Amino acid sequence: MLSTFLASKPNEVTPSNIGEALQQAIEIEIATIPVYLSTYYSINRTPDQSAIEAKLKAALLAKNTGTAQAYTEQQAEEKAKDLSAQIMVFANKAGASILSVVIEEMLHMSLSSNVKQALVGKPELVNKGPNVWPAYLAGHEPQFPINRAKLSQDQLYTFLQIESPAKLEGQYKNANALPYTTIGDFYDMIQGCIEKHFSDASCYDTSRPQLVPKMGYYAQNDIDTLYYDKAHNPKFENAEDSGDLVHVVDQQSALAALQEIVEQGEGHEGGHKFKVVDGVDCVDCSPFTEGSFDDKDRSELAHFDKFNELWCEMQKMEEEYKTLFGDSVDPKSFYVFDFEDNVMTADYPDIIQKVSTLTNAVYSYLYVMTQACYYAEKNTQYEIFMFGIHKSMMWILGSLCGILPSMKYIDSKGFERSAAPTFENYAFNTASSPKAQIIALFNEAAAVYPGVAYLKDRIHDLPNVPLEPYLAKPAQPILA
Amino acid sequence: MSKDQNSNGCSTPSSHGCGTPSTPVNPQTDVLVPKELHACMGLNACKGHDRFGTNDCAGMGYCATQKHVCHTLNNCRGQGGCGLYGDAAEQCKPGENECAFQGSCATPIQAERISTMGANTGKSVWLLARDLFETRMENAKRNVGPSPMENGPPEQWLKSLDGGYDSCGNSGDKYCTFGFNNPAETANEMIERSRESLKETVEKCACTKDDK
Repeated sequence: MLSTFLASKPNEVTPSNIGEALQQAIEIEIATIPVYLSTYYSINRTPDQSAIEAKLKAALLAKNTGTAQAYTEQQAEEKAKDLSAQIMVFANKAGASILSVVIEEMLHMSLSSNVKQALVGKPELVNKGPNVWPAYLAGHEPQFPINRAKLSQDQLYTFLQIESPAKLEGQYKNANALPYTTIGDFYDMIQGCIEKHFSDASCYDTSRPQLVPKMGYYAQNDIDTLYYDKAHNPKFENAEDSGDLVHVVDQQSALAALQEIVEQGEGHEGGHKFKVVDGVDCVDCSPFTEGSFDDKDRSELAHFDKFNELWCEMQKMEEEYKTLFGDSVDPKSFYVFDFEDNVMTADYPDIIQKVSTLTNAVYSYLYVMTQACYYAEKNTQYEIFMFGIHKSMMWILGSLCGILPSMKYIDSKGFERSAAPTFENYAFNTASSPKAQIIALFNEAAAVYPGVAYLKDRIHDLPNVPLEPYLAKPAQPILA
Repeated sequence: MSKDQNSNGCSTPSSHGCGTPSTPVNPQTDVLVPKELHACMGLNACKGHDRFGTNDCAGMGYCATQKHVCHTLNNCRGQGGCGLYGDAAEQCKPGENECAFQGSCATPIQAERISTMGANTGKSVWLLARDLFETRMENAKRNVGPSPMENGPPEQWLKSLDGGYDSCGNSGDKYCTFGFNNPAETANEMIERSRESLKETVEKCACTKDDK
């Protein structure tokens, strides 16, 4: 059933619906996370270069037919080395770039939540990811499908549609949510409402907890957001001045929080956009401009421009391979796992289902923990975030998502596939704590697949966060 | 590169200016119950506090006495390796985290590790950790001997010692080549660059406010 808000077919943000509009913003950000994460985990960032080199050398030498010698042994070796280094750099760069965006999408979710917490309270994060795939961004006009899919130019094109600073070509469907044509436009509507109606500091309840800056919750860079160039020099995808959390206490900070979301996603005026050719949005591979960057030092590309760059580099590589090898060598086969689009846990055989369900529960617990931060005092919030969210993301979810592609299954069409993390909402029940349920799921998974057993201590060390604040037992310790 | 060279381009570990260390032939059997838990080579506070119990002086310890895999997985204060993960303030104080689970990255700290945030970004974590350690010891009016290796333990050496050293992260080996660089030279350049700017880095780090 549609909520009163949606049933009213709203078309502008007003003081009476700003809470729903901000919740819609939160859910738009959440919807992008499984899309980006599924693609991120489809990339083998550190493939075996010597194996790639050997295959490429053999393919180059196979071009020598009869008396026509296209490559000498040495030439083939040098060319294969060069091409394999190109794969090593691009695979790692694509991973670093997409992950750097994921971190900022999570930051955006929290920035929107901070604004909602200050103005109306109760940001809702749990079970807010799409349940049906392909999914659609609530309210986006025109609508376009977003998929959980492996890295490809098609998938990067979808990323570009999500982050587009310009209106997309296509017909409007009169969506059942507050309609907008770009995410930037949507935030503009909210900003407009705040500018007009929320100038008084008394509109902002600063007693309600928020995720505040300078706590290291969303560090702009880490070892996973860097890649190495051909000479193995580290290159950082994010800039330190690109933005942190904003504690929303008044109109100015509310507007700053929302502006940061827009700038990180779309960049500044004058940056890259789709080039419209015959009514179709086409990727523009011309050089970057000043507006493509989202930070003061102009060292970090906006999300749209990062994906634009990846798409163009991928295109160039595909064309080069086509020229060299025709259809016989697909460069993606060296660094992209063969994930099935929008696969669900139920599609997997039993053993993979157990690992996939555990993965979904850990993924969903990230949102339980983040939401809990909006009800927790500073030190508890810090413990939940650093020892719960960081640990889950890096050392439990990251490990499980690394294990799944090594598990193979036969899809409905008879092809062997690598299992993909599905990032489905896991519905924790209220009979026991989510942590107890994760431990039970871990025990089930480890019993049938010992490859996950080493995660036991990390899972047992997770903070014990209740599903809802009212379900917490008196004096229940978080780190238990 | 010859087999006995380490990743800093120096030859065997004993050539780093502190005589011939008593590297155990079989580290698995020679490891003692640690008297102090510290994050890396050259960061021990007392005689006999290194992994093998053989060091003569503070700062001369041969190896970390505890090992954890990465960010948030340390058990105690002062065990964080730092670099790679964590915010600018955390990455400015390798080996000096306040509490369990606050360690910013894995220990031991290999010589090739760089910071990814803050004033030390792109520069050696171990050199910063050693500088902070020397300052801490100076404040405690303690003499500090030279580290067995002046740049910290190279990754290749750690691998040879433990047979499986693996620092964290998904972007690949820090000591590596795609065929277009000499990894030892790349590491050396980074270390020399870090050493040249260490004073400035420490000053900037001191200004990095930790609001936690």
